[in-house]
Amino acid sequence: MKPVTVAATLTAIALLAPTTLAFAQPAATAPGTQPPQATSVAAGRCGVCHPAERVQFETSRHAQEDVHCVSCHGGNDKSLDQAVAHGAGFIGRPKHGDIPKLCASCHADEAKMRPYNLPVDQYALYQTSGHGRRLAKGDPRVAVCSDCHGAHDILPPSDPASRVFSVNIPKTCGRCHGDSTLMVRERHRPDAYREYLASVHAHELFDRGNPRAPTCVSCHGVHGAAPPGAGDIDKVCGQCHTAERRYFTAGPHKQGMVAAGLPECVSCHSHHNIRIAEPQRLSVLCSTCHGEHSPQETLGGKMWTEYRQASAQLDQAAALITKADAVPIQTDDYRARLEEARTYLREALPAAHAVSEPTVAALTSRARSVGAEVASEIYGKLGHLQARKVALVVLWFYLLLTVLVLRRFQKQAARKD
Amino acid sequence: MSEVPRSGWVAWLEQRINLTEIFSFLTHFGFVYTPIDTTRPLSEVTRELARQPIPTYARWPRVLGLFAAILFALEVVTGVLLAYYYRPTVDAAFDSTRTIVRDLPLGWFIHQLHAWGAWLLVLVVVVRLLRLFWDGLYRAPRELLWWCAVAMAWLVLQSDFTGKLLTWDSRAYWAAVRGMEVVFALPVVGPVMAFLLGGRVINDDVLIRFYVLHAMVLPVGFAAFLYLTFASLRRVGLGTETLAPATKVTSFREHLYGMWIMTTVMFGLLASLAVVLPFRFGSAADPYSTPSGVRPPWYMLAPYAVIEGGPGPRWVLGLFLLAVAFAVLLLPLWAPRFAPDRLDRRSRIAGIAAFALWIALSVAGALMEGR
Repeated sequence: MKPVTVAATLTAIALLAPTTLAFAQPAATAPGTQPPQATSVAAGRCGVCHPAERVQFETSRHAQEDVHCVSCHGGNDKSLDQAVAHGAGFIGRPKHGDIPKLCASCHADEAKMRPYNLPVDQYALYQTSGHGRRLAKGDPRVAVCSDCHGAHDILPPSDPASRVFSVNIPKTCGRCHGDSTLMVRERHRPDAYREYLASVHAHELFDRGNPRAPTCVSCHGVHGAAPPGAGDIDKVCGQCHTAERRYFTAGPHKQGMVAAGLPECVSCHSHHNIRIAEPQRLSVLCSTCHGEHSPQETLGGKMWTEYRQASAQLDQAAALITKADAVPIQTDDYRARLEEARTYLREALPAAHAVSEPTVAALTSRARSVGAEVASEIYGKLGHLQARKVALVVLWFYLLLTVLVLRRFQKQAARKD
Repeated sequence: MSEVPRSGWVAWLEQRINLTEIFSFLTHFGFVYTPIDTTRPLSEVTRELARQPIPTYARWPRVLGLFAAILFALEVVTGVLLAYYYRPTVDAAFDSTRTIVRDLPLGWFIHQLHAWGAWLLVLVVVVRLLRLFWDGLYRAPRELLWWCAVAMAWLVLQSDFTGKLLTWDSRAYWAAVRGMEVVFALPVVGPVMAFLLGGRVINDDVLIRFYVLHAMVLPVGFAAFLYLTFASLRRVGLGTETLAPATKVTSFREHLYGMWIMTTVMFGLLASLAVVLPFRFGSAADPYSTPSGVRPPWYMLAPYAVIEGGPGPRWVLGLFLLAVAFAVLLLPLWAPRFAPDRLDRRSRIAGIAAFALWIALSVAGALMEGR
């Protein structure tokens, strides 16, 4: 059928059944809340026999565009006669392994995707992914497009109901990668999904509602999903943790780990189960590789001591600022300087990735000196308050003098009258 | 004029204005307990006044009204100085207060004097009320004195309540919220107060009304009742008959020196409190976050305890509070029937019982903060 004819037919159907247009707005009507119509713009007459699929399809992004049942399944959606409908060019249910190619017939076509400003490299990327490479080897038990995006109810990634909306991605990947029986059988890491759920990244994503927190695809890639290898891990983590990576690559660990085939960031922070990096771990973590009483353990302990002392100094300065505010004393300048010192201290943690004490000490000692300056200046100003007490003593001296003089006058008055 | 004034600036003025009249007007607010003849020259009047005999009865603690007048004057002077810099809007109230106490020379001292002076004034008017009750000075012909004392105590407490909110300090704000819960729970009075104060939610409208009440309406009312107190006192005389043995007489001059000494010591006390025990400066009020340990001002703890913890619906409790307030106000009408003699032990025991109940309720109110 030529596109012009399709458009004309669609217009005719639309005019005949204007109520069905409501279904063209998937957000406006939840699926299943209205009785299924016999025909619709998107599903043609397929919905007469396949109402469940039709309802699903009409909520999808495709239903709003020039995509119909026949676009993927072939056949004829104008006929109610099964022999005609399932006749010429009918595909039926596409084979699992054929799905990427089927989707790519449109999504890899620049001419078709240009109006939507959509990329066309998903298929090419997919072929480089772990999933795609296994599919190419003839293993059909891998994830294809529909496993992540859905079949009939495909929604754009910006839709919170979509399987590929950022918050939903861990669950989507977890459908297979959280199934430990399946993963063991496929010789995959069985706990990746559960470990991720316990991580600081998942806490940020689910508990704190930060939609920019990293999900599976942030590190593994989207359509070209594959585990990053040793030597690449610092690049992956460094996408977000730029300062940590800068110090890490400048330090000795980068070369040493790559040479030894150790995964860089993962060796200390683990992979999926990444916990909050507590500074005190500097004092204990080094010995796990370098052994107890090693010079490296001593170095880690030194870095932690530097950090702790600077942090304590800043806490003291902050407590003094609170005290000064209660007087009150002007503290805006101290607050600004304390914030500056905190910036140095914050920088000291990424700097610890260079595993060099002078690098860390340069930052912590700056933080400490600013904190100490603020503290001593506030002590000075609080000391000025002592002047008030001295003035009070002087005042009392004059008041008592006045009282004595008045008392004398009073006695004189008593004698006179 | 009975005598030709001598030369000098007093004489120059005396020819153009009746200084005695002005002096008489000023002394109507305190100090002088006898009428003044405004037809005579000032020097003559004051000389005579100084020699006037006065019973030694007029000493601490029977001059609390005078202390109230002196403290009121201190509050007016420091309050005017504070008003030069204070801005009564939700956005500027806290910042302008901080400017006063932090950046202005001696601003902290003025502010602390105003705060401690208010504290002392509240204490003075409440103690004065208790002492008038103790000595039975609400009976005829001193009913007016009692009513004025009740009104002055009420006005001072209102001034304290409205003044605390003006700093827009977090604790003051929430204390005001708690206090207003009590006021709004009263039947009839509550809705009228809510209307007069601009609503039940503390916002800009309420703040500016508090400011106007604190800086204009309440002080003028206080001055008026102070005037009435001394006017009545000149007519009915000091309550000397309470203390029969204290018949020793001294001169007004000596009395005045004594008052001066007490005022000096009181100023020293206030200055010491301002330096040694300054009111701490808190953080700006945030209507969306309640700090812990919020309770109404201490003088509202007892009614707060009744409203929040008493049995029965709120309006019944409110009615009870109103009844108590009227019972105190109308004491001169019903108490003489209950205890005919002026220094009757029965009335004193009843008063002690009522005071103990008030203290107990206040403690209960203070312990209720967690609610």
